[in-house]
This record gives sequence, C-alpha cells and structure tokens, in this order.
Amino acid sequence: MRGPVPRMATINTAAAPYRASPDPEGDSQSSSSNSPARQDYEESDFYTGNNDSQSSIGVPTFQDMAVSREACESPANRLPPEVLITILSKLSTPLDLLNSMSVSKTWARNSVDLLWHRPACTNWNRHGFICRTLSSPNPYFAYRDFIKRLNLATLADTVNDGSIIPLSVCTRVERLTLTNCKGITDNGLIGLLTDSSRLLALDISGDKQITAASMLVLADNCPRLQGLNISSCVKISNESMIAVAENCRYIKRLKLNECKQLEDSAIIAFAQNCRNILEIDLQHCQTIRDLPVTELLANGLTLRELRLANCDLITDAAFLNLPLNQTYEHLRILDLTSCARLTDKAIEMIIQVAPRLRNLVFAKCKNLTDTAVNAISKLGKNLHYLHLGHCGQITDDAVIKLVASCNRIRYIDLGCCTHLTDRSVTKLASLPKLRRIGLVKCSQITDASVYALAQSRARAHEQNVRSGDRFAHSVSCLERVHLSYCTNLTLDSILILLNNCLKLTHLSLTGVVAFLRPDLEPYCRDAPEEFTEHQRNVFCVFSGVGVTGLRRHLNSLPNALGDVDDDQTMTGMMGAAALNAADEEDGDADADGDEELEDGDNTG
Amino acid sequence: MSSTDKVEQTITLVSNDNIPTPVALKVAERSMLIKNMLEDIGESAIESPIPIPNVNDQVLKKVLEWCEHHKDDPATAADDDSDSRKKTTDIEEWDQKFMQVDQEMLFEIILASNYLDIKPLLDVGCKTVANMIKGKSPEEIRKTFNITNDFTPEEEEQIRRENEWAEDR
Repeated sequence: MRGPVPRMATINTAAAPYRASPDPEGDSQSSSSNSPARQDYEESDFYTGNNDSQSSIGVPTFQDMAVSREACESPANRLPPEVLITILSKLSTPLDLLNSMSVSKTWARNSVDLLWHRPACTNWNRHGFICRTLSSPNPYFAYRDFIKRLNLATLADTVNDGSIIPLSVCTRVERLTLTNCKGITDNGLIGLLTDSSRLLALDISGDKQITAASMLVLADNCPRLQGLNISSCVKISNESMIAVAENCRYIKRLKLNECKQLEDSAIIAFAQNCRNILEIDLQHCQTIRDLPVTELLANGLTLRELRLANCDLITDAAFLNLPLNQTYEHLRILDLTSCARLTDKAIEMIIQVAPRLRNLVFAKCKNLTDTAVNAISKLGKNLHYLHLGHCGQITDDAVIKLVASCNRIRYIDLGCCTHLTDRSVTKLASLPKLRRIGLVKCSQITDASVYALAQSRARAHEQNVRSGDRFAHSVSCLERVHLSYCTNLTLDSILILLNNCLKLTHLSLTGVVAFLRPDLEPYCRDAPEEFTEHQRNVFCVFSGVGVTGLRRHLNSLPNALGDVDDDQTMTGMMGAAALNAADEEDGDADADGDEELEDGDNTG
Repeated sequence: MSSTDKVEQTITLVSNDNIPTPVALKVAERSMLIKNMLEDIGESAIESPIPIPNVNDQVLKKVLEWCEHHKDDPATAADDDSDSRKKTTDIEEWDQKFMQVDQEMLFEIILASNYLDIKPLLDVGCKTVANMIKGKSPEEIRKTFNITNDFTPEEEEQIRRENEWAEDR
C-alpha cells in the first residue's frame, strides 16, 4: 500500500483542533483566530517579547513536550497541543481555565487565549481587574492580543468613556458590543476603533451620544467590518454613513432602526457599495422613500432579509420599478409592517420576483385585499411565517385558498381580520406544522374554530392516541394560540384545546367573557404595569406553568372532562355535549368596555 | 459500491504491533482517515491489509469497539458543534461507560481518534478529560495527570494576579 501513507500524515494535521467560540456566522474573514496555524503564530509572537521563559520560545510541538523524558512521561504530557487545546476548550468557566493555566507552562500557553478570547466584563470588579492587567507594563502574556470579543452590555447603564479607554489597547478585537451604553461618547469609542483593523462587528445600538466623528474613524480603520448596528444613534450624520458604506464594503448585516436622520442617499450608498449585504433592518427609518428599497433589492443579489417596518413613505413604486428580468432567489424575510401605502400591486410584484420568500410581514398594510393573499399563495411550501394582522379586508375565500397551497405554514397572524369566520379557522387547523396562530379580535369565530384547532391535530395522530394512554401520544405542534376578544368562545372548547395540545405554552383570552372568572385568576399572568384598571379587569393570558395550571384546574371542575371517556376527549365535538354544565355565570365580567382596548393582546 | 455491499464488506487493519484485525467496512469508515484513503485509492486497496502505524492492537480494538457501537450514527455536520462541545458534562451513557478506563488508555484513545480522525470519539475523550479538570485546583490537576510544575513561585503568583478577574464570581 504505497499511496496512502503521505496522505495519512497530512490528515493528521487537518484533523486538528477546533477552537473555542467559533464565529457563529461562519465568516471566513474571522476564522483567523480559529485556525491552529494562526494560533501558533500568535503564541510565538508574544513569546519573543518575553524574557523569562527561554524554554517556551517557539511553537510547542509533540517533540518539545515528550522528547527528553519520554520514558517516564505521563500520558497527559504526550498530548499534542491541538488535542490539549480541544480539551481545554471544553472548560466553560473562567475559573477552570485559570486553574488549568496555573498547572504548567505548556498548559498556560494553551489556555491563555481561551481565557482571554472573550474576557467577561460582566461586573465592575472583573472589569477593574481586566483593565489593571491590560495596563500592566510587563505582563507575563500579551493578554491584549488575545482579546477578540469585548462586550460591555451588562454594564451598559454605568459605562462611560473612562471605563472603556483602558480597553483601547486591544487592537485585535473582532466583535465589539456596546449595546445601550448611553454614557459613551465619541472620545471613548474612537479610542477603541482606532487601529482595530480586524473588527468584524460593531454594536453601538442605543449609544445616543455617538456622532459622525466615530463613524469616520470606523470607515478609516475597520475595512473588514461585516456587521454594524447603530439603531437609535440619532446623532450620526447621513454623510458619515455614506463614508462607512464606501469604505466598509464587506458589510453583510446592517441595523439602522430608528435612525430617522438617515436619508435616501446613505441607504443607496450601502446598496451600491456593499454588494454582500445579507440582512438590513431599516425599521422606523421614516424618511426612507422608494429608491433605496429598489436599489437594495436590485443590487443586493444575496439579500436574505429586508426589514422596512414603519417606513411609511414607501409606495408600490419601490417594487414596481424593479428590473423585470431579475429574480431574488435569496430573499427569505420581508417585513413591511405599517407600510400602509402599499397595495395589492406591490405584493403581486414582490411574490413574482422573490419566489422563495419564507417569512412575510404585512401587518397593518390596510389596503391589501384577497388579491394580495392570492398572490402570496403562490409561494406554496416555501411560506412558513405570515403576518396579516389588521389587513381587515381579507375574507375566508382567500385564507382557504392560502392554506390549500401553503401547507408548511408554522406561524400565522390574522388578528383584526374581522371578516374571517369559522370557515377560515377550520381550514387553518389542518396545517400540519402550525405552531402559532393569532386570531385576536376575529370576533365572528366560535367554539367550532377551537374544536377544529384541537381536533385536527388529534385526528392526524389518532392511531397513536388510541393505542396509547390518554395524552402521551398526542403530538399537536400548537404552542401559542391568541384568541383575545374572540368573544363567542366558551370554556368547553378551550378545555378540549388544552387537553389535546400538550405543547401549548401560551393562550390569550383577554376580553372573552367566559374566562373572566375569579377561579382562573391564579393561573393568569400579571397584567403589564402600564395597563389601566379596566384593562386589568379583562386581561386574561396564560403562559408556561399557567397553561398547565389552567388545564389541571378545568379538568378538576365537576362535570368537566373527568366524566367523559377518553375517546370523547380526543374527538372534541362529541365531548362538548357533555360539558354544557360548565357554563357558569360570569357576574363580574365587564363586557361592555371592550372597544376601549384597541390592541388588547399586545403583551402576548 | 452499493450500501448493501458496504455492510457485508470487510477490510483488515494492522496495528503497529503487527496484529491484523478484520472489521466491517462500515465500521472502519467512522475513521475519516480510512474513509478518505479508501476513496482516494479505490476498491483495489480493500483487498490488502491496511497498516495503522500509530496505534497498537489493544487501543485499536478499543477504538473499533466504539466504531461498532456508533456505526449507525447520523453523520454530524462538521461545524455544527458550536454549542454542544462547550457542555462538558453531557456524554451519553454508553460512551461514559466506554470511557471508564485507566488514564493511559484514555489518552491513547484520544491520540488514536485524533490520528484516525474520528471526531465524535475525540470529542467524547476530550470531554471526559475536561470533566476530570473541572473544579480542581492547579495542584489537584497536576496530581491527577502527573504533570510537573515548571513555574517559579513568582511566575505562578504573577499569572494568578494578572488573571484575577477569572476568580471573581
């Protein structure tokens, strides 16, 4: 066997270590710290500057560790460094890593960057120790060069420039997270960004004092940047973002929420310069008009996720002006919440050019009619998530057609689609993968809808259920059901739903008279603090253990399911006849105030 | 080659102490080293014994025992272990028992799985060692693995001081 021998030798190194904390995005740019070769280079890099450890200079190898005392060496000492690193990377607490570091010089070399890869600045004590070490004139290791990730989000409320300036000696940072560090100004941030040429991701969302000055430094120093989140940084100028777009051309993920100061020209600059954009979120960038949207789609051939919620100046033209000969196969997620000027025409065009859309949000696009839903139906099995809340013109016919062609829907919201009746819900209940359904204020629906939701799931697995004990084999996928202000509903149907859908973790019934009973209150979640007294009175949301508690309680009531045999439990409608006794008086319910609650389900 | 062939097909591995072991192809292919090699040189090689120069018979048999038990495991995506490999405690029961061997053998299994490129076995081995490290002081770790402390007291103190943040809870 001549061929394979050299092959074996090469594979041995190729099989080498994976490192701790791989880049979750799998970006090739950031893999520098993941490769063993890189690691060795970094080790030797700092060791040459260190005079106290002659024997450690250079790359540790199998020979280094085993050659001299081979015979009496313990097996742990014979491990090649990549295996030792693999072992050490499985230690999850900093203390275990520190203890390993203190074992020997070999162990120290192979633990130190695991420990400092992402130092935990999670309280001020730690932050102080870390800064002290970074400021030390003659440290044992060049710790500053190991730091690849810095995250001060847990100290956000109290961080200021003084607390981040000691960290500016770290120039190999790849991910810098300063979410909601409102105290930080350009003075502090510029120090961190200067010379950080390896920076891949910057999150300064909520850092409202940051201005153009920082963004210009970012543009000049961080050419590899791939992710940027400046949400709510309202002082950052349009011009400085154009500079970022022109210099940071590898940007893939961009979040500019609430940046109302940004104009079309900045977004167009990103569309034209950063051709690798995967995700862009422009929620509440309310000055954005049609042209940037057209440009982002037409130029961003890898665009996967486009979020334009509340960009309410956008019109049909943003989509109708797209080049006709192009399709956007990568586009999966499109959020156009409250883009209220859009009409069916835009939706038809979108579906035509982006046939692989998976998540669609058209909530509060009030002009949409059945024509738009019929267009959406063309997505077929690609569609998983659809939000049409407040699209009040939609009728049963369109929903029935949608379900017939898109049978992989997992999440659907039709809240406030007030024309919908039991016909729609009965059909929706047949979706085999449905996990979450929102029907808030679909006030025409009755118990028949809830029975359908409970029953169709059971029917799909009837054989399992019959062969096993009462609930064990019921595998309904339904997890979240929103039925607030579906005022016709009664206890009977909900109990069947609870008993048939064991994965249920959320059930909202705010404003449904039958559920405003004191005996259910212990299982109900607390109303949000900002609610008025009236809102509190009608609030009725069960989640987590509350759902379990509600199920147990309702089953324990006299004349509830305890008297019904198993078969009837699983087939819902039959059981209903026996359950009428549960129809109790809801004397304290305050049914006539419902109209005051525009969106009573806003907490669920 | 069809999959039924693979189930029946047997190859022979030869350890570095020259002991041949016949093994089902499907089992042997848990080793990416062997799998890739066979793909490279083609079926003709299956006929002849394959030397495994870095592994002795005792260890090879132990490794093959693991491969046999895990021969039907679904192939894991190469980089799909970002989370799972951080949790050191979750080792499935059979693997835990399998790893109840003396330390010498434990490290031999690790070295062999590294050499043979059997990532899931390497992973289990490394998790087992990591679990032996967890919660121990440096001196306890040295004792456990018979490692000599080559730091001066001053160096050890310096490292402790510079990494004090890791001790803060």
